[in-house]
Amino acid sequence: MLIQPVLQAHGLTKSFGEIKAVDGVDLCINPGERLGLLGPNGAGKTTTLLMLLGAITPDTGSITIGTHHLPRGRAAAMSEVGFVAGYLPLPDRLRVREALSIFAGFYGMNRKAGDAAAAAGLERFGISHLAERMCMELSSGQRTLVGIVKAILHSPTLLVLDEPTASLDPDVAYRVRRGLLDVAAHDGTALLVTSHNMAEVERLCERVVFLAAGTVVADGSPASVAAAFGHGNLEGVFLHLAGTVVAEDQTDNRDGTTDQEAPW
Amino acid sequence: MVTAANDRLPFSWLRVRTVVRRHRYVLFRSPHRWFDLAFWPVFDVLLWGSLGAFVAQQSPTSRSTTPYLLAGIMLFQVLMQSQIAVATGFMEETWTRNLLNVMTTPLREIEYVIGLALMGMLKLLAAMTTVSITAFAFYRFGLGEVGFGLIPIVGVLLLVGWSTSMLVIGLLLRYGQSAEILAWATTFAILAVSGVFNPVESIPGPIQPIAKILPTTYAFTAARDLLDGGGVPWATLGWAALSGVILAGLSMIYVLRMLKVFRTRGFVTRYS
Repeated sequence: MLIQPVLQAHGLTKSFGEIKAVDGVDLCINPGERLGLLGPNGAGKTTTLLMLLGAITPDTGSITIGTHHLPRGRAAAMSEVGFVAGYLPLPDRLRVREALSIFAGFYGMNRKAGDAAAAAGLERFGISHLAERMCMELSSGQRTLVGIVKAILHSPTLLVLDEPTASLDPDVAYRVRRGLLDVAAHDGTALLVTSHNMAEVERLCERVVFLAAGTVVADGSPASVAAAFGHGNLEGVFLHLAGTVVAEDQTDNRDGTTDQEAPW
Repeated sequence: MVTAANDRLPFSWLRVRTVVRRHRYVLFRSPHRWFDLAFWPVFDVLLWGSLGAFVAQQSPTSRSTTPYLLAGIMLFQVLMQSQIAVATGFMEETWTRNLLNVMTTPLREIEYVIGLALMGMLKLLAAMTTVSITAFAFYRFGLGEVGFGLIPIVGVLLLVGWSTSMLVIGLLLRYGQSAEILAWATTFAILAVSGVFNPVESIPGPIQPIAKILPTTYAFTAARDLLDGGGVPWATLGWAALSGVILAGLSMIYVLRMLKVFRTRGFVTRYS
């Protein structure tokens, strides 16, 4: 049986003036797949992500989410997508319960259904006690957890996460990761994650795509991509792509291997 | 095969109502915003009403000055509140860095704007209640003196308020938060050049051509004609409506173009 991907992007390019931020990116995500979109600063991750979310229009290429083509079907496509960014706050003059209810409304859920989904989401992540707190009073970890609840209110087929565990304590990062794995496993939601924390990505994602200078330079399981670059883990790949020279004793290769030249 | 119809999400009043609810929460949690509805309008009425009363005392032939000034400032509230509510509603998303969160939901642009406009109507109702009570309490003046002609005048002013808010949002999309000052400046520019309190002929000659293309000039002129006891000045109101519709069309074209520029140039990163 042919599987309908939740997201398909072909030949995405985007330039800002003389700078080519994204140069011919192809991406396909299947239902329930957990994909990490990685790369050093300036690799084109954020631009790619924002194009996939319809917030930036690509110069060329096509994007299909479910059966909806961007940009024309942006609103319909977004009804199948949830978005969380670790750096984005929730509306600060709203209580958590109210903010979730508002986003549920934007997703087309009536007040009763939205409130029920919000309560269930808070319960699922063990943060029901935050319901009456003002969004501006949340810690960064609480904000991320509430942000995930916001993004899954409408049971999306694709959850896009930009730096979800950035600057979180390990225990909170663990709760976030455990929650995301649960969403993927039980709801069948595909995850598209960008992160600079390679160890986090290895735990969370079954597939990674590395970007460098706006192009895809690697696509596969974390282990296969690391091996293709001659490293024991993704951090070694990241450092190579970032052009960082690392002393042998400072490499983060947990299997004891040392960094080598990248194969590209 | 994906059809075009499948790509279009139908218009939803539920999402419109949700926009209203979102901004209602913000209003109730932001006492400083009540100043726009319950504080400044009182002082506007006191300022212009007292000025009119003074002029009337100095010259018995100028007894219509107070109604002119009060009607002008009260109708100006219609223009200002409708414009400010929509523009600041959008700015609220930028101030709270919520724009990307909103843009990545199924909320359509038209639903968002209609929601802000409806919220603006609620704020306008509050502000008009304030100025009406103040004007009647201190000067025994009510906008009812304008008669039924008030309805099309208010309609034109609402249209202009919403149109100028679209221009402001277009500028914000294109130039970022540095354009925020224009949210307030545009209405006061209109106040100055469209003869809110005075006939066009009393505006300096070089500025009169600008006044004559503004729908607000005809709306305020019609209000004064009605206060003078004349019949409904349909011709003046017709010009007001026609120029208002043209302004609305131009402002929609402008904001849609700026939205396209916003997405093409990736300006959303300014707010994330």
